[in-house]
Parts: sequence; C-alpha cells; structure tokens
Amino acid sequence: MKKLMILTALMLLSFTAEAFAGVNVVATLPFIGSLAKEIGGDRIEVATLLKPTQDPHYVEARPSMILAARNADILMYNGLDLEIGYLPLLIESSRNPRIQPGKPGNFDCSQYVSAIEKPTSVDRSMGDVHPLGNPHYLFSPGNVLRVAEGIAEGLSSVDPDNEAFYKANLVAFKERFRKKEAGWRGVRLKGARFIACHKIFEYLAAGFGFEIVGYVEPKPGIPPSAGYIEGLIESIKRTKPAAILCTANYGLNDARALAAKTGLKVVVLPQDVGAQAEAKDWFTFMDLAVSSLDKGR
Amino acid sequence: MTKKLMLCLIFLLLPFSISFGADDLEQRVKTLEDASTERQKTIEEQQKTIEELKKGAAQPEPPASGPSGLTGLFGGSALANPNISLIVNTFLYSSNIKGSGLPGRGIPGFTNIGIENGKGFNLDAAELFIFAPVDPYFNLYADIPVTESGAEVEEAYFVTASLPEGLQAKGGKFKSGFSRINSQHPHAWDFADTPLVYRAFIGGEGLTEKGAQLTYLPQFPFYAQLGVEVLQGENPVLFGPDAGSGPHAYGAFAKASFDLGDYSTVLFGPSAITGKTKTASIADDTWFAGSSTLYDFELTYKWKPTRDRSLTLQGEYMLRDQKGDLTDTVLNTVNTLKRSQDGAYLQGMYRFGRWGAGARYDILQIFKSEYVLSKADEGFGRRPWRATGDIEFSPTEFSRIRVQYNYDRSGRDGRTNNEVFLQFIMGIGAHAAHPF
Repeated sequence: MKKLMILTALMLLSFTAEAFAGVNVVATLPFIGSLAKEIGGDRIEVATLLKPTQDPHYVEARPSMILAARNADILMYNGLDLEIGYLPLLIESSRNPRIQPGKPGNFDCSQYVSAIEKPTSVDRSMGDVHPLGNPHYLFSPGNVLRVAEGIAEGLSSVDPDNEAFYKANLVAFKERFRKKEAGWRGVRLKGARFIACHKIFEYLAAGFGFEIVGYVEPKPGIPPSAGYIEGLIESIKRTKPAAILCTANYGLNDARALAAKTGLKVVVLPQDVGAQAEAKDWFTFMDLAVSSLDKGR
Repeated sequence: MTKKLMLCLIFLLLPFSISFGADDLEQRVKTLEDASTERQKTIEEQQKTIEELKKGAAQPEPPASGPSGLTGLFGGSALANPNISLIVNTFLYSSNIKGSGLPGRGIPGFTNIGIENGKGFNLDAAELFIFAPVDPYFNLYADIPVTESGAEVEEAYFVTASLPEGLQAKGGKFKSGFSRINSQHPHAWDFADTPLVYRAFIGGEGLTEKGAQLTYLPQFPFYAQLGVEVLQGENPVLFGPDAGSGPHAYGAFAKASFDLGDYSTVLFGPSAITGKTKTASIADDTWFAGSSTLYDFELTYKWKPTRDRSLTLQGEYMLRDQKGDLTDTVLNTVNTLKRSQDGAYLQGMYRFGRWGAGARYDILQIFKSEYVLSKADEGFGRRPWRATGDIEFSPTEFSRIRVQYNYDRSGRDGRTNNEVFLQFIMGIGAHAAHPF
C-alpha cells in the first residue's frame, strides 16, 4: 500500500516536471489564441479555453480551465464584458498572481479596440445588452490588426528577451494582413440587406457597408415569440433582405424556421477560428465570412 | 461694545464704497465688453479647431491603451464602485400537514428541527451581495440576507489574490468548503430545498462559520484542490456556540476534476469536519455534549453539448459519528449517547433552452443506523426517505420560476408530507459568477 502511494506521488511529480520553458499563454477565445500563435510562434505555448463551437456568452468555469489559468504567464481575453460570467471567478480561483487585474499577465485585448454600439444607458429589460459596446470585434479587420499589435507588446512585456522575435512576426502578420485586406475590399457588399440572429455581425456590417434590417431575436439573448416573428415577416416583405445570417451554434434552427416561412436563404457564418475546417486561422476565418456573405448577397 | 464699534466702522466705510462704484461703473462695463469680445473670438477659434479635428477623425481612432481604458473585467459599472446585486427568493408553500404541525415535524433519531416554511406565501430573503477587489492583494465578499426579522451577515470574508505556489487563504465568515452543496447559495440550487442529509446532519442553513481557510491548487496534470479549515463551530446542529471556548471545529477537503471529452466534466472528492458539540437539536427536552465528525463524498457529472442544453448528475454520501452525553432536562438524567448514521442523495437536472426538469431521491440510514443510549440500541424504525421532482422556467439568467413536488417520508410516523413549492428567484445588479 505504502509503495503504491510513493509510486503515485512520484508519477505525479514527474508530470509536473514536464513544464514548457517558453511563455504559457492562456486565451479565452480561439481567435485570440490563434493571433497569439501568429505573433508568438514557437516561443509560446497556447491553451485556448473555449471551443469554436461553444457560445462565448454562456460559459461555466470548468475546473480544467482553472488549472490552465493557474499555469499561465499571460491570460488573453476578449473583454467588453463577454467573459463576465466566468473570467473573474477563473482569475481568482487560479491562485496565480501573474494574471491578476493590473498585472502585465492580465491582457484585455479590447483595450486596443474601438468598440461600436456603446449604449448611452442600459438596463436588463433591454435584454442581454453589453454595456461596454459590441464585443464581437473578431469580425473587424482594423480592430484585429490593432489587437495583434497589442499582443506583440503584451508578449514582449512578459518575455522581453524575445521582443525582436515577436516584432518580426508582427511585421509578417501585417504584410499578410495588407494583402488579404485588399482582397476583402474587392468584395462588393455595399447596400446589401440581411436579417441576423443576434448582434454578432455588426462589425462586418460597419466594415463592409451592408445593412442588417432585422433580428430574429426581439432583444439580445431573448428568444422570439410567434407574434414577434409574424411582425418580422411583415417587415421582411418591405425591406426585402437577401438572406438570414447566423452561426452554426447560434440561431441556426430559428433561421431555418424563418427561411421556411419567407423563402430567404440562410447564410451560416463561422463563429470563430476553427468553427469550420476551412477557418484554420484568423485570415482564413475572415475569408470564409466574406465569401459566405458574397455568395449569400 | 465690539459690536457697536463694528457697526460704526461699516457705516463709515459704506459711502466710500458706493462712491467708488459710481465713479468706475462706466469703465467697468467697458472692460467687461472687451473681455466678452475676446472670449467670443476664442470660442470661434476653438470651434474651428474642433471642426478640423472632426474632419480628420472620420476614421475612429483607437482608444488610448493603458489604465484609462475601461477593461470591463469586473463589469461596466464605475471602476471604483463595488459590485452590488440583490437576489429575492420568494415562494408559495403547500403541504397536507397542518400548519401547526410543521415546526414539530423533525426526523426522529436525527434532528428535532422541523419544517420552517409557513403554509402560503414565504419570503426566504432579499439577499444583498457585495464584492470587489480591496487592493492587489485581497478580494472582499459580503452576503447580507435581509429577512422579515432583520438583516444578518451570512457571509463577510476576504480572499487572497496573490499568494504564490497555488495557495489561497480565506478569512472572516464564510460557507465551509465541506461537501458539494454547502458552499452554494440557495439561488444556485437545483431545488427549492437542500437534500435530507444536509437537513439531518448540518441543518438546512448549512455550515456557515467564522474562521479561516487555506486552499492549495497543486500543479498536477488534472485539477485538484486541497483545503483545510479552522472554524468557530457555531452550527446549531453539528457543533453549537457553547461547545467550546474559541474555535472548536476543524475541516479538510479534497476535490478533483477531469474533463471527459469536450463537453463532459466530472468533479469528485471527500471532505470531513470534526469538532466539539453542544446542541439541543437531537430530541426535544434534551441537550447533548460531546464530539461530532461528519464525512462526505461528492460526485458531480456535467454534460453540456450545446449552448442551451445540459445534464447534471450529482450525488453525495454522508456519515456522521457522534459520542457524548445526552441530558434529559425533564427527568434530569444523563445517558451516554453514541450515534453513527449515514445517508445519501442522488439528483439529476436536465436543462433545455429556458426549461429545466429535475429529480432527486433522498435516503437516510443506508448502512449505518446506530443510536446507542446508555448501551441500549434505540430503534426508530422506518428508514426516512423522500422523492422530489421539479420543473424550472428561466426567462433569462436573471430570473427563475420553479415548481417542485416533494413526496416526503422522513417523518417516520407513517404519514407522507406532500409538499409543493412555487418559487420565484430574481436577481438584479452585478452578481459574481458561480463556481462550477
């Protein structure tokens, strides 16, 4: 019995010994983890807490996430209250002084973002409104570029020895960004009209000049009633949108039901990097989003 | 004397000031006009600058990074304010037992504390939660339920934020880390009441004690949390405020967790708590002095394949050992008492969209039902058990309506207590996230 215990203890110790020598990055969302990997390359190890198929609005702090946060040198998160339901708890339970608020290891990507849709007043009768502005800026190339710049700064601040390496990767990222952006600019979406499931695609609309003329949800996070859908169908007759936008994990069933009643197409956009096989990194994710919109127009 | 002098002085000075004003009035108006023209010019220039800036700023500039940018980690409220939330828990209660019989309906052999709900409308509490970081080293939490009999401090404790090596300390008054449900707040329960093992061994209110706790998160390849506690030991069922001077209860717990694939998680572990006891809650007209130890094993399985679907299965086994003297206050006799009793529950909750359905089965004295009074084993007969079902509707994450039915056979008198709850739980404000 004693021998068994000693053996187990030794096994556990050997597990703890195989720690990664570089920077341990913990990212909440897949696109943040993917951006960090672009900038950090092989000098960092990235653990991403959420699956690309998981709704970022409803996340529970699983104990395995607490364990990941415990070993993080830097925790990168989306901010704008998107992680409010689990991140403060995760940070406290991690018992990790490096990632506490105010420390360089507590990295809020939204500090580099110029958010849209900041409400002037908010209460919960309006539904699940984000009081700091729309948090789904992963669809905004300009903002993501600034976040990538910020990530290079953030990684340099926790790992100054590799600053030149991170900067060089950022330059390569910017180069790729310029080429890709030119391609996206060629897609003409200006004036197109869509219905959307939830306020996820506002940055796309603002960036590409299309219009979202109605939502399947009456208020953010509130499922539609039959009466509301009837009203929406009436308004669709007037506004004549091209398609209904949703993601595979948010609103697909509601979108299909509405499509059956109105004859509109359903356009499934990727929710995050990795949600569809083609969306391997943030660039291919945006490629997929833009081409899906172009096809659905 | 001085007053008169002052009045004289004022009268003397008054004509001077008036004449001064009259002489200079015209000049002063002119000065004012000049100043006004000057100001107008400045405003026009500023306006121009603003217009130019506006033209230049057609593309929104990124906000300055650094501490001035609102991070929003602790909510969008003003940065310096603590997060405050209010949760109201109110319910309608119905039972086939007479209202006057409920308070006396304990679980014979376990506890004489009966059912505290009144028939009809009940207000459990309007519970105020306040939390915020104190400084980079501590976070502070308070839970102040306001009931009809007044406000009380249910919890008020600090948690360290930057101890090294995965350590964390907690101090003040807090819910003990013992067992699974104990540290959860009533609004986070899957049912309107706690399982029978809680009622029988620690009381419906749970173990909320003044004390200190140290927990440790080792760097294992799986999640494990180890904790020890020193508690004042005031729980009226298990310990009692008069059982000893100073802290007289000590606890330890371990929790481990694994993910089974992307959507499933298990959490399990043992916990134990031991201490001195002095209580009047064993049977009417008695008091007990001795020592108690309570053991627990918890197991939780959660499956959450999509955003709006989840299944939680949870069970706990508890065993309590007690030894001491039972004093009969009517006969004025003292008997030795040795109790060793156990119990368990198993519950499941399935949530789909805004709806949830749950079931629970409770049982006491599974393997152990020892109740030895002065070497004579007292038999209490029938095994206490209860079956529960509930349906929940949660319009948003801030409101919940619950209907619950209990088929309660824990009274041991052959009578069933058919209980029905219609419960409303509503929360406003910035509430801290719930642990797994």
